[in-house]
Parts: sequence; structure tokens; C-alpha cells
Amino acid sequence: MDASHTAPSRGDLSRQPWWRSAASTWAATMAGIVAIGLGSAALLEAQGSEMVSSGVRFATLAATVAWAAFGLFGLVAPQAAWQPAAAYCALVFGGAGLAEALARAGMPGWATAGLLVQVGAALASAWWTWRAFRSGPRFRAAATWLTATVGAAAVVWFLVRHDRTVAATGLAGITAMAVGCMAGLWALRAALSGATGITGIARTVLDEAVRMRVAVALLVLLVVMVPTLPLLLDHSERLAYRVQFFLSWALGGSGFILALLTIFLACGSVCGDIDSNRIHMTLSKPVSRLEYLGGKWLGIAAFNLFMVALAGAGTYTFVKVLAATQASDGDDRAMVDRQVLTARAEIQPAHEKPEEFDGAIAAALAQLERDEPDAFRRNPAGVRSRIRQEYMWIWHTVTPDTVSTYVFQGLPAEPVGLQLQLKPRVNNVEVDLADVRFVLWINDRPWPVKDGVHVEQTLPSLAVTTLDIPADVVGDTGTLKLTVANRNLVPAGETQPTAIQFAPGDGMKVLHRVGGFDANYVRCLVVVWVKLAMVAAAAVAASTFLGFPTAILLSLAVYFAALGSGFLRDALAEYNVVADTALGSVLTRLSEAARLAGSLRLYEAGRMLLGFVTDGVLWMVPAFSDYDTVAKLAAGIAITPTTVLSCLLKLGVLYPALIGLLGWVGFERRDLVRSSS
Amino acid sequence: MIAAEEIDVKCVGLTKTFRDFWMRPRVKAVEGLDLEIRRGEVFGLLGPNGSGKSTTIKMLLGLLSPTHGRIAVLGRRPRDVATKKHVGYLPEESYLYRFLSARETLDYYGRLFRIPATTRRHRIDMLLDMVGLEAVEHRPVGEFSKGMQRRVGLAQSLINDPQLLILDEPTSGMDPVGARQIKDLIADLGRRGKTVLLCTHQLSDVEDLCDRVAIMFGGRVHAQGTCDELLAREDQTTIRTESLPAGVVEEIRGVLARHGVGHVDVERPRRRMETLFLEIVERARAAGAETSGARSGGRVADFLRADEAAAVESSGGLQAAAVDSGVGRAVDSGLIDSLVNR
Repeated sequence: MDASHTAPSRGDLSRQPWWRSAASTWAATMAGIVAIGLGSAALLEAQGSEMVSSGVRFATLAATVAWAAFGLFGLVAPQAAWQPAAAYCALVFGGAGLAEALARAGMPGWATAGLLVQVGAALASAWWTWRAFRSGPRFRAAATWLTATVGAAAVVWFLVRHDRTVAATGLAGITAMAVGCMAGLWALRAALSGATGITGIARTVLDEAVRMRVAVALLVLLVVMVPTLPLLLDHSERLAYRVQFFLSWALGGSGFILALLTIFLACGSVCGDIDSNRIHMTLSKPVSRLEYLGGKWLGIAAFNLFMVALAGAGTYTFVKVLAATQASDGDDRAMVDRQVLTARAEIQPAHEKPEEFDGAIAAALAQLERDEPDAFRRNPAGVRSRIRQEYMWIWHTVTPDTVSTYVFQGLPAEPVGLQLQLKPRVNNVEVDLADVRFVLWINDRPWPVKDGVHVEQTLPSLAVTTLDIPADVVGDTGTLKLTVANRNLVPAGETQPTAIQFAPGDGMKVLHRVGGFDANYVRCLVVVWVKLAMVAAAAVAASTFLGFPTAILLSLAVYFAALGSGFLRDALAEYNVVADTALGSVLTRLSEAARLAGSLRLYEAGRMLLGFVTDGVLWMVPAFSDYDTVAKLAAGIAITPTTVLSCLLKLGVLYPALIGLLGWVGFERRDLVRSSS
Repeated sequence: MIAAEEIDVKCVGLTKTFRDFWMRPRVKAVEGLDLEIRRGEVFGLLGPNGSGKSTTIKMLLGLLSPTHGRIAVLGRRPRDVATKKHVGYLPEESYLYRFLSARETLDYYGRLFRIPATTRRHRIDMLLDMVGLEAVEHRPVGEFSKGMQRRVGLAQSLINDPQLLILDEPTSGMDPVGARQIKDLIADLGRRGKTVLLCTHQLSDVEDLCDRVAIMFGGRVHAQGTCDELLAREDQTTIRTESLPAGVVEEIRGVLARHGVGHVDVERPRRRMETLFLEIVERARAAGAETSGARSGGRVADFLRADEAAAVESSGGLQAAAVDSGVGRAVDSGLIDSLVNR
């Protein structure tokens, strides 16, 4: 090989001999600074602005440090490309320092001149540096990022100096996330640098993710969306709601975008390999097909981890920024701190006498079985669940002439931040809300009592009312007994006062603080990531036997089914579950379908059998609603480690393993060439 | 009979029928193929388009499952990871990741072979030098010309120092310089004891390089043997000398006529176009002409081991790998025996 092959290409700069040596770089740097000084001196007569001079002052400290560091580095660095970079930094920051020193000496005109010269010098040097780095491919990306980061930092600094704090925060957020993005990718690639089949494939998926245009577009959307969302919120809204809104939309939106990205990436990667025959190259290497699929999944899961971390870091920063802004009032501030940015355990009410309650339900069921044996036999589980629901509603309704008691068990001896959350509603929409009143007793004592008077509660104008309960009312048994009495007036034109209802499930609960927001937030992100890993497994598995568009459709179907399967399950439970056990359900449904078909009611028989399909889909697709951690986080409800572990096990391990194996079984037997000569 | 260890590829009764979506047989690409490639030989697989060459190769690589028949590659099933460890493959077109650079591409395939980082870097340096791409190693492969992509493909097929090298149309899309280098490389690898399966339409390449040849048509082998066996013409004799004066030619004609040889052709031989082309490129390079494309490339990478000892060592490594992966040696010899004794 001849010498011309080895000489590193240095681009146009190498043809400028005075840039070649470190000493001349240094001299040029010094000349630049002197030029700034002279230029500034010439413009000394012009009247400078106080604002600009104070702006220049801001850069002084950083200037001195950067000048020293980069100047020194430029002297010793062997790569020619570093030298103009050092000169660039030295010019910008050194000039700022010089101008600052002069501004301090009472000559603000210097600062204006210095700033103008600096901007010119900075632009020229940035262009130079970028070109120099571009000529060496190893530094190409670094040059672009260095230039962009320094540029963005300069703009942020400018905005801060001009009191555009919000814009500066937004830009700083975007810049920090973008830089974090590059650093994170670099770290992830390093983590996947092992020489094995799985990590090798995973690393290439990661490269593909970064270099695939769809991924970049969505990434930009995410990087822009997360930090700008808080800026778009209505500032007249109460702060607590803004924080909640931001949390749920930023995390929910990121989760959705990332799920789409995951599906496109997974299907594109696997189907692309198969369609373009690239898979021939990979699978003719010592890599089994299972390793291949595992590598693809790992790469996408790793990319998701990074993306979730990135979106999470951005959201976290801006939640903190948002929470630090002015609250509407003291209550609003307290709500932010004690109901949103916290982690609370929630306790649902229990019946004071459960045997009595269950007995009543059993009696009602027995009655129904006697009166309507046909309806009961057709769907016993459905009837049971419906009757129980009805009794729950009755129990959660406080009629005008009754007092209802609810027991909250399992409280710690000294609970922190104990709260009662009520979501009362009335069964009469016409009624004036101010007329709806009720009073509360806690552990048989009137509460709250103000100046010796038992305070009446009115129906709140907000949907939810949260009352702080003193911790000492909870006894050693860890039980809190709540008694509610309906004290309504008779509304105009009515003869009966209005009944008050607390919807079973979310109408009434006791909350107490069990942890901090930060840990809760991390747990939430873990769950978001695990869900994405599940989507990735489904998409990779779909791509093993389908082409690109169909694989995407199927993966999207699985994703949306997972999103909606909680709702579907509830909706279908009423008539789909016909017996207490799965096997019983199957047998009952088969015999019922046979009976209907026998009497030529074919449509109904078909509908009965269709239940198997929905059941199958529901069984195949895990429900994301079981792990709706974003909603919990935004409501300040603690996400328990048990939830996270169960999610990790079910969605992160079992489901991918199961569906991955299914995909692999087909893939292992598949001919990877359609037909060929 | 040849010992089982001496046979690197053995196919018996190999048949591949492609089926459509409804599992109806559509194309019978390969039918009852028997093939035996011995260790250290350069074996040519010839045939017109659609004769089943690529299908055969894909079955040897485990990318396709045979409909009937059996295959042993290096004494094992083709899908066995331990088999693929010692196989290099250059497909008929370069199926590379467009977004990876030449170096990253080689690095990727090196990782799949579990080659440690230092060795990998060393080998990639040598291979890039060998195929003449060291100056453009950081450019994405998607920007490369077809011939440059073929060079990357060739480099990746050698990164594991394979015992068996399967080359599908290695010179397609290559300039004559590159084609010449590939031919030299194949010849060199053959001398170093590697087994090469060469699948090509360039009949002259086959004549120059191959020890043995099989000619396929319609999924079957129609002729098999050494080039000499297949090409020798028993009815003619060629005498080649330095340029002769006209008188001498007439004298020879007379001698031949005395021996009863009636028909004698006397021609002035032409140089081959390839020779001329290579001379011109060599002169231009010597004159210092610039190029942004592939450079000439260097000599064969050193790590591609030469001697018999290396071949034995590599086959020893193979056995060890088989034991590690739970596939016993006995099973493999059994497979070979059953194939050979069939």
C-alpha cells in the first residue's frame, strides 16, 4: 500500500499551513483576542447598552475556564481538527472575558463592540471547526453536536439575559434532552459492545433505529413535545391541575408515540432483513434463529429503555419547573404538594358487617333463582355480578332518612398525610348543589368540628373533595370508621330530600402518604418501558410470518387491544362469562349454542360461539389497564413494587417469552427464500 | 473411497420443491442432487439461470430446508451453529445494511462470529486493505457502487478465516482488476487448503480455478468431474512456440505432411483483453492518478491461514465446539457414514 492511502484526510484546512502547528493555533487565538480588543477600542466612542454589557459579564467565569482548558488542549492535541475548535472556544469565551473586564472598568461601549466582534468570530470559527471535524469521519458527529450545543447555549444565555425565562427554559430543556440523547445512545452502544450474536444484532438494530428516518421524525417530535408542553398550558388554570395534566399527557403521549415507533422499528427491521435478503448474511453466520429474534427484541427494548429514560428525564425536569411556578393560592400549593407530587396508598371502604351484606346478596340471588330460573341458568356468573353491583350501589347511597357507615381497614398506626377523598353526586340533576348537605363522623365522633360546631359538608363545586384527617383518630386497630348522614333540605317542588351517592370504586377512599414522588415516578417509567418491550415482542413475532404492512397492522391491533382490553373485558363480562370457571364457561356456552342451533335460532347460536373469539383475544392480549401507572402517578397514588414486579413478570418476561416462542416455532421452519433458481 | 473427514460437503438425494401459500408444489428447484466436495478443493458449480445453483447453496447454508435428501456440511447439519462458525458466504448480490459503514459492517459480522475485539480490529484492517477499501471505510455502504459493495461482501465472507468458502457469482459487478484479484484470492485460498465452492457464469474463471466442476440443469447435475476430464479433446494437439519465421513454419508443415497430417492451422495468438486492461490500470496508478473509488487492494490477508496444520487445527476446534454444544462427535461421524455408505 502506498503512503497516500495512509495520510489522514484533513480537508481544506490541511492546505493552510499556518493552522498546522499547535503554536500557530495559539498565536491565532491570541491575535483574535487582540483584534477584539482593538475593534472594541475603535468603537469605544459609540454609546453601548447597559443590558448588553451586563450580558457579557455573565460569560466571564465560563470564559476563563474554557479558554484555559481548550487552549491547553489545542496545544497538546495531535488532531488538527481540535485546534480550530479550541480557537473557537478561546475566541468566544476569551473575547467575552476581555469585554467583561473592560465593562467592569466602566466602559460599557467596549462590551457592545466586543460582543459584535465575538459573534462574527464565533460564527466564522464554528464554520471552520465544523468543516475541520467533518473531514475526519470519526469527529463528524462530534463536530455537529459541539457546534449545535455551543450555539444553543449561546441563544439560551441571550434569552436569559433578556428575561425570556420561559423560552430559555424550553430551549435549554430541548438542548439538554438532545445532548442527553446522544450521550445515552453512546452509552447504550457501549453496553451492547459484546462480541455475541444477540448483542451484535441488538447493536445494529440500535444503529438502524437512529438512522431510520421514521425513528428520527418521531424522536424529534418527542424531543420537542415534552419540553414545550408546559409552555402551552393555560396559566389561569389551577397549578395542581396543570401539573397533573402535564404529567399524564407528557408520559401518556410519549408512551403512545414510542409504541408506534417500536412497532415501525421492529417490523421494519425484521421484515426489511427478510425482504432484502440481508437475513441470509446474518443467518449464515453462527447465529441461531432464536438468537436472531432475541437480538432484534433486545435491541428494540434497549432503544425503548433509552427513549423512556430520555422522555422521563425531560418530563421530570419540566414537572419540577412547572411545580415551582406561582400557584393560584395556598390551597392550590398544598394540593400540588400533597395530592399530586406525592405517593399515597388508597384504601377502599368495607362494610361494617360483611356477613350481613353478603347474606342479603345471597338471599336476593336465591329469590331470583326461584323466580327466574331460566335467566339465572343462562348466565349465573353474570347475574351474581349484577346483583352484587346493585347492592354495592345501594350501600354507597345515603338516603335522606338513613345513616351509612363505612369502615377503612389496614391503616398504619400513625399514618402520614391521612386524607379522606369524596366524590359525592346526587341522583337529582335539577337540584341546587348548595342545598345538598351531609355531615361526617369519624370513629363515632363528629368531624370536622370548628369552634365547637359540627361542620356541614356541601356538595363541592369541584368533582372531588379531599379532607385532611388528623392521624390520631386512627386507633391501634388501624381502622377508621366513617359515618355519613344525609342532611339535605327538601328541594323546591319536591317532597323528598335528595339522596347522595358515592360511586363504588372511586366515590370514597382514604389515602395516606407512603412514599415520595421521585420513586413513584421511576416505577411508573419502568412500567411504561415494560409495556413497550411487550409491544416490541408482539411486533417481532408478527414480523416472523407476515410482510411489513400486515405485520404493522397486526402489531397495532395487539397494541390497541391491550390498551382497550380492560374496557372490553368489563363490557363483555356481562354476557360473555357464563359460568364461574373457564372450562365451565366453555361447556355451558357450547351446550347453549347447540340448543339454540337445535331450535334453528342460528344467529343467536353464532353470537354465542363468537364469544370464544373475543375470549381468545382477551386471553391472548394482556390488559394495559391493569397497569395504568401514568394515571396513578398523576393522581398521586403510589405504584407499589408488587405492581411493578407483576408487570415486569407478566408483560416483560412471560408474554414476550410466550409470544416469542410462538413466533420462533414458525420462523424456525420458514424457508427464507420465496422461490429461487 | 475417500475418508469422511476429507469431505467438507456431502449431499445425497437432495430435493427442494417450493410450495405456494396453499402448500401446493409449484417449482421443483433441485431434484435428487448428489454432490461431494472434498477438503481443500476449489469446486465449481455451473449452470444456466434457474438451474438450482443458488437453491443448493441456500440449503448448504441452512437458509432453506430440503424437501427430501440429506446434507452434511463439515460433518454436521447445515443449521448447526458450530457448522456455520467455519463457513464463509458471499451471496450473489451484496445484501448489506446501507446505514453501516464498511468498517461497521465487517465489525457487525465479526461480532456474530464472536471474534474478540482486538482480533476483530486487526482482521478488519487487513481485510479492508486486501479489498482496497481502507480509504473509504467510514462511508456508509449504501453510498458504494455495486463493485465496492461486492468487495465489502467478499471481506465479510473471510472474517472468520473459514474452512469452507461459498462464493455465489463473486466477480459479478466487479471491475476487471477486482475480478482478477478475486480469482487470485480463490487460487491462493485453494493452495492454503481451504475448500471453495464457486458458483459462477464466468466459464473462463471456472477453467482457470476449479479442481472439479459440476454442471447443473433443471435442478439436476448433468456432468461432474475435473476440468481436464471434462474438457480434454482427444482429437487435436496444440504446439505453442516463440514467434517463428515463415520458412520454419513451412518446414514444419512439410514434416507434418510427411506424417500424414493434412490440416494445420497457424495463427498469431492475441493477448487477452483482461491482460491489456490490467496493464493500462497499472500504468495509470504508477503515474499517480487520483481515484475516489476502490483502490487496488493489497495481498491476501495474513490471518487466512495457509498450511495443513491450520486446517487440522480448525477441524479440531470444530470438534471441540461440537462437544461443547452437546452435539457429540459420534453423532456427526454417524451422519457422515450414513451419507457415505448410502
